[in-house]
Amino acid sequence: MLPVSDFKNRNKQEKKHTGGVKVKLMVVISAAATLLFFTQLVFANGLATDGQKIAQIEDEIQKLESENTILRVEISKKSSLVSLSKKALEDGFKKPSLVITP
Amino acid sequence: MDRLKILQIIFFIAAAVIIFRLFYWQFLAKNSFSSDAFLIESEIPPSRGEILANDGFPLVTNQESFLIYAKPHELEKNPQEIAQNLAPFLISEKFTTDSARLSDADKEQMKNEVEIKEKEIKNKLSDKNLFWVQLARKVTLETKKKVEEKKISGIGFVQDEKRFYPEASMAAQLLGFVAFDKVGRDTGYFGLEGFWDRNLRGKPGRLGQEQDPLGLPILVGQYRPVPAKQGSSLYLSVARDIQFMVEDKLRKAVEKYGAKDGTVIIADPKNGKILAMATIPTYDPALRGEFDESLYKNPAVADTFEPGSIFKPITMAAALDTKSVEPNTKCNVCSGPRQVAGFEISTWNKKYHPDSTMTEVIQNSDNVGMTFVAEKLGVKNFLSYVEKFGFGQKTGIDLQEESTGFLRPDEDWKQIDLFTASFGQGIAVTPIQLVQAISAIANHGLLVSPKVVEKVADGQGEEEIEPENQVQVISPETALQVTEMMVNAVEYGEARFVAPKDYRVAGKTGTAQIPIAGHYDPNKTIASFIGFAPADDPKFVMLVRFTQPSSSPFGSETAAPTFFEIAKELFIHFGIPPEK
Repeated sequence: MLPVSDFKNRNKQEKKHTGGVKVKLMVVISAAATLLFFTQLVFANGLATDGQKIAQIEDEIQKLESENTILRVEISKKSSLVSLSKKALEDGFKKPSLVITP
Repeated sequence: MDRLKILQIIFFIAAAVIIFRLFYWQFLAKNSFSSDAFLIESEIPPSRGEILANDGFPLVTNQESFLIYAKPHELEKNPQEIAQNLAPFLISEKFTTDSARLSDADKEQMKNEVEIKEKEIKNKLSDKNLFWVQLARKVTLETKKKVEEKKISGIGFVQDEKRFYPEASMAAQLLGFVAFDKVGRDTGYFGLEGFWDRNLRGKPGRLGQEQDPLGLPILVGQYRPVPAKQGSSLYLSVARDIQFMVEDKLRKAVEKYGAKDGTVIIADPKNGKILAMATIPTYDPALRGEFDESLYKNPAVADTFEPGSIFKPITMAAALDTKSVEPNTKCNVCSGPRQVAGFEISTWNKKYHPDSTMTEVIQNSDNVGMTFVAEKLGVKNFLSYVEKFGFGQKTGIDLQEESTGFLRPDEDWKQIDLFTASFGQGIAVTPIQLVQAISAIANHGLLVSPKVVEKVADGQGEEEIEPENQVQVISPETALQVTEMMVNAVEYGEARFVAPKDYRVAGKTGTAQIPIAGHYDPNKTIASFIGFAPADDPKFVMLVRFTQPSSSPFGSETAAPTFFEIAKELFIHFGIPPEK
């Protein structure tokens, strides 16, 4: 049988030991949380930049599409038979009087 | 309780508060929070499909245009001043384009329109209860720039594409137009736009996207845009150069013959594909509001009329196919006018040809001769063939406003009705029905339903459009016999002076009186000519029709010359050498 004083000492030592583990655990968790927090900050920063880039790209696409539409309209306007025949008439073109068929 | 436990409890409470708050935001306050503040839901309007001629050139495409809106609570100037600034730009395009040449009457009309528009804008802007108000739709880029130059705060623009017609009014009645429906959506009306509206309009997309306070997309958020599906494009069988040439010749002919209107249809008889379809007068679809609404319908498919003599080949084909007559059968009632049920049936020129053959009956366009044919054929056979040729029903052409024509109910047919119908009076047909029926004669007796669209294409693929009906209406031998009769009619009939001597053309003239209030108007006619060429291997079938020509009432003096003038151009277009 152990003396009472030894039992008390042992209990104290065990408590001291357990408390040390808990503190270490908390330090690890805090460190992990801090690390995760900063990682998230880095990613969030990256995402924010990506979002901005996407917005820019979308703007660019819309601008190009709009320019394409304008150009398509201009090309079709200028190459329409209505405007070509008008231009041909102004420039003095005439209908051929002789036609050779194959 | 030691400090460690107190710390544990504090951590626990803080975690619980955070979890509860997150739960609240995620589930309880989700709708109001996310949609109002960060989640942007908007409709992405689809681009409408194009309509292209057979050379791939767009007859209808899309043009950049804009919807102009105002946010009344953001306006810094007073509504009256803004209205005065904007109104001159937001009236009809007729007045606002730089190229507009305005007469004095136009200038007066423009002034009135500006005043009305000014009042309208002022009323809209004065209502401060409105957060957003639409001022105008489909304004051009040119107008947008002019409005922007005014630098008015609270005025904004949204993309709102509109139709553009590179060839202006070309084939307007064939194409139809786009206007708003009851809820302000673009909808096709008439012609191809109306018939193919579902294919052309596409599907709107949706933009559901979370944004940060600066308006930039949050990529880890609910980023789920559904892209708009562009409408399918239509590839037509219409040849742009033929259409252009036909419209030009038709315009001049309508003017020359003083006709109320003129219509030309040209089709490929072998497959029913429409090569050109024109009507004069026409309208400009970009400024359709300035034209009479009666011009919107395409007369080539919507008008019903009594065809007159151009119907005779149909009756003759039925009689030959049933062996009721032969080409050399002689008419024994053709020596003078015929009395039937109190009516007198005479020839158009009061000249009579006793014992004429069936070929000569067609050549002379002999009404009395046709009563002989009809008598031999009988009502039952006549009606059966008329229906087989597609009269009294839609041809199935892909144009919205097609009508069926009119045939009286079977039980109502009396002998006089059969006699008059045999030479094209007392029945109502559409121009496209006639083209379909004569195409069957040109196509060895095989009837093919006409089509304008050859192919429908979207981003994923293409769909060829095939004719629905292919019916052997008459035998190839009968078709050949009728063809020879029609060639003979061109070479020796009323139109012989205007027909080209070096090509074999099968054709028939028509001069039909116009029925009004139970009788025929003695002075008004519908003059027409229908035919195909070259007769032995037809490349085209064509109908020319004039309503109420004033220079001459006869088809042989109005429609026939126009037919041959266009036909000569078509011979060059198709590279058909002279046959004789």
